[in-house]
Amino acid sequence: MAFALELGGVNKFFGGVHAVNDMSFILQEGELAGLIGPNGAGKTTIFNLVTGVYDVSSGHITLFGEDITNHKTYEVVRKGIARTFQNLRLFASATVLENVMTACQQHHRYSFLEACTHLGRWRSVEREIRDRSMTLLERVGLADRADQTATTLPYGHQRRLEIARALALEPRLLLLDEPAAGMNPEEVQDLNRLIQKIHADFGLTILVIEHHMELVMEICPHIVCMNFGALIAEGDPEHIQGHPEVLKAYLGEEVEE
Amino acid sequence: MSAYTEGIITLLMINAIAAMGVCLLTGFTGVFTLGHAAYMALGGYATAILTVKYHLHWLPAVVAGGILAIVVAYVIGIPTLKLMGDYYAIASIGLGEAIRLILENWQSVTRGARGYPGIPTFTTMPVAVGFFLVLAFLLFCLLHGSYGRMFKACRDDHIAAALLGYDTARVRVLSLVLSAFYCGVSGGLLAGFLSFIQPVMFDMLKSTELTAVVVFGGLGSLSGCLLGTTIITLVTELFRPISQYRMLIYGAVLVIIMVLRPEGIMGQYEFGPKLFRKLFGRKAPAQERR
Amino acid sequence: MGTLLQQIINGLSLGSVYALIAVGYSLVYSILLFSNFAHGSFLVIGGYSCYFALKTLGMNIWLAGGLSLIAAGVSAILTERLAYKPIRERTNVTLYLLIASMGMSIVIENIFVVTVGGRFRALPPVIPTDPVNLFGLATTSAFDLISLVVAVICLGGLQLFLTRTKWGLAIRAAAYNLRIAGLMGVNVSRLISLVFFVAGVLAAVGGIFLSVRYTLYPQLGGITIKAFVAAVIGGLGSLPGAVVGSLILGLAEMLTAGFISSQLRDLVVFSLLVITLLFRPTGLFGKSVGEKI
Repeated sequence: MAFALELGGVNKFFGGVHAVNDMSFILQEGELAGLIGPNGAGKTTIFNLVTGVYDVSSGHITLFGEDITNHKTYEVVRKGIARTFQNLRLFASATVLENVMTACQQHHRYSFLEACTHLGRWRSVEREIRDRSMTLLERVGLADRADQTATTLPYGHQRRLEIARALALEPRLLLLDEPAAGMNPEEVQDLNRLIQKIHADFGLTILVIEHHMELVMEICPHIVCMNFGALIAEGDPEHIQGHPEVLKAYLGEEVEE
Repeated sequence: MSAYTEGIITLLMINAIAAMGVCLLTGFTGVFTLGHAAYMALGGYATAILTVKYHLHWLPAVVAGGILAIVVAYVIGIPTLKLMGDYYAIASIGLGEAIRLILENWQSVTRGARGYPGIPTFTTMPVAVGFFLVLAFLLFCLLHGSYGRMFKACRDDHIAAALLGYDTARVRVLSLVLSAFYCGVSGGLLAGFLSFIQPVMFDMLKSTELTAVVVFGGLGSLSGCLLGTTIITLVTELFRPISQYRMLIYGAVLVIIMVLRPEGIMGQYEFGPKLFRKLFGRKAPAQERR
Repeated sequence: MGTLLQQIINGLSLGSVYALIAVGYSLVYSILLFSNFAHGSFLVIGGYSCYFALKTLGMNIWLAGGLSLIAAGVSAILTERLAYKPIRERTNVTLYLLIASMGMSIVIENIFVVTVGGRFRALPPVIPTDPVNLFGLATTSAFDLISLVVAVICLGGLQLFLTRTKWGLAIRAAAYNLRIAGLMGVNVSRLISLVFFVAGVLAAVGGIFLSVRYTLYPQLGGITIKAFVAAVIGGLGSLPGAVVGSLILGLAEMLTAGFISSQLRDLVVFSLLVITLLFRPTGLFGKSVGEKI
C-alpha cells in the first residue's frame, strides 16, 4: 500500500551548510503527525523540500506512491499538498474571503471566454466558489470577517485564515508550519481542537511543525524529532518524551521547553 | 462637436486602450515594463503595412497588429518572466529599443526612420470609442473573477500563489500577452488616426508614459488608470506650448506620488459603492450571506 | 590586422567607460535591490559641472574634474535622501523606488533642458585626442588610451576600497543582507549615502569621457541604458559581471561599427541582451536569489 508521504535519504546543502542530513520518515495515510525540533533544526526546510520550493540535493520524496522529488511547486500542489507558512503569507490586498476564493477556484473553473464576458457558467461557478469559501471560513470561525482586508485581522485569526485557504485546495496532505506561533494558551487550545476536528472531518493526512511541545504531545500520536538537520527520534509521545537525545536537544538549546 | 474635440477624444481612447494593457500587467500582475511602446509600434506598423501594401481592410489589419504583438510578447516573455524582480523591466527596455531600431533599419519594409505615410484614416471617433468600450468591458469582466484573483495573487505573493497551485511564470506570461494585444491594437488605431507613423513615436519616453499613467492612476485600479490617462492626455494637450516644463512637472509628479501616495490617485479602489463608502467614512456593511 | 587591433582598443576603451557607469549602478542594485534609472542623471550632472567649471570658472581640468565628481556624488546622495529614503522607510516594495527613480531621471534631465537648453555642447579640448602609434601595429587616439587607463585606475580604486577598508567591508556585508548588516551595528543610512556617493562619482568620470566622445546634451544620460544592459548581461548586482558585461558590449559595439555598419551597433547591443536573457537569464555572473520562507 502507498504511504501518504515518504522521505528517503533526503539531503539538502546550502553552499557548505548541510541543512538536511539523510532524513527518512514515512507518514501513513490519515495520520496526524508532528515534526518537532529546536530552532534551526531544518523543519521548515523539510516543508520547502516537500513542496518543491527548494530542490533536494539527493534522496527522494514520494506522495501517495508518486515520485515528486524536485517537481515544481505548482505541480506538487496539484497532486494534493497544501501548506501554511511560519511567517504568514496572505494576499495582503485581498479580503479574507478573496484569499480563500483564490485557492478554492482551483477546483471550480470556467473558460477564458466565459471569464471575459461573464456569460455561460460564470455566474454559477463564481457562486459555487463563494459559497464553498464561506463554508470554510465558517469552519475556522472567520465568517463574520469575510469582507475585511486579510492583513488587518489579528494574528491568531490570520493563522486560521491560512488554514482555511489551504483547506480550500482540497488537499490530501496538509502541512502546517508552526500554526500556534505567537498564540496565547487559550488560543492554542482552540487551535488544538480545530486541527483535530479538521483531521477527523476531512479525512486528511496532517503534518504539523510545532514549537509548543504540549500541542504536539496532546494531538499527535506520531512524532518525528530532528536536530541539526538529522532525525534523532521517532515514535509516540511517551517514547519522544523519554528519549535522551530529544531531551538533550531541547535542554541544550532552549531552557523554557 | 468640433473636429478638435473629436480628435482629442479619439486620442484619449487610443491612449486608454494601451494604458489598460499596461494596467493589467503592471497594476494587477506586478510586472514592471518600460517597453510597451514597442508593442504599439508592432501593431501600428503591421496595420500600416497590411492596409497600404496589401490593401487589407483595416479591421482585420488592426486585429493582426494585436496578434503580432501577442506572438512577440510570448517569445520574449517565456524566458524573462521566469525571473522575478527587475529583469523583465530591463529586458523590456532592450526589447523596446531593439524593435524600434529594427523598424528604423529595415528600410525595405518599414521605410526607415522617416516614417510610414499614407495610411488610410479609418480611426474615426466612433471607431475608437467602440474599440475602447469593447476592450474595457472584456478586461473589466476578466478582472472580476478567477483570473483577476489569480493575477493579484501572483502580484501580492508569488510564493504563496505557487503554493496554491498556480504556475506563476505562466500567469505572468498570460498577463504580458494580453497586455501586448491591447497595446498592439492601440498602435494600429493610432496609425489609422494619424495616417503617418514613425519609429521615434514609440521610444522609451512613450513607454515610460504608459507605465507612469498606470502608476499615477493607482496600481491595481482599472478606473484609476483611465482617470490617469484622461488627466495626462488633457494636460499634454493643454501644456503643449510649454512642453519643456511639462516633462519637468511630469517627472516631479511621479516622484511626489511615489513619496506621498505610492498607491496612486485611486489606490486599489474602483469607482463604485465601495469607494463611496470609503470616502464617506462609513464602515462597509457586511455582505449578505446565503 | 591594424584595424582590428585599433577597434579592439577602441572597444575596450568604450567598454571601460560603460563599466564605470555599470559598476555604480550594480552597486546600488546589490544593496537596495532596485534598478536606479536616475543613474544616468549623475553622469549628466558630472558632465555639465565639468563643462561650466572649465568654461565659466576657467578652472583647469584637474580642478574641474574633481569638482564635477563631488557635484555628481552629492547630487546622488541628495537624490537618495529626497526621493528614495522616504519610500524605503515606509515600504519594501521596490517597484515604487523604480518608478521614483524614473521620475527623478526625467526631472534632472529636464532641469537641464529648462536651465541650460537642449543644445549640444562640446567640452573644451582638455583631454588630448592626438593619434598615437602603437609600436607600428596600429594607430589609436590618445583619448581612448587615457579613458581606458583612467577607468582601470577607478575600478582598481573601487576594488581596494571594497576589500581593504572598514566601509568597504560594510558595503559588501550589506550587499549580502542589508537588514542584518543594520542589526550588526552598521549605520545603514550613512552606508547607503556612501554607496550613492561612490556610484555618482564613478558615473561622473564616465560622464566626462562620454561628453568628450559624443558632446554634451541633457539626454546624454540615456546612454546609461547600455550600462544597464551590460550589468544585466554580466548578472545584476555582480560587480565583476558589470565590468565583463561592459567590456563585451564595448567590443561588440566597436567591432560592429568598424566591420559591419555603425547603424547596427545599437541593434547588436540589444540583441546581445535578448540572447543573454534567452540562454542565461541570470547573466554571466548572476546568482539566483533565494527567498527566505
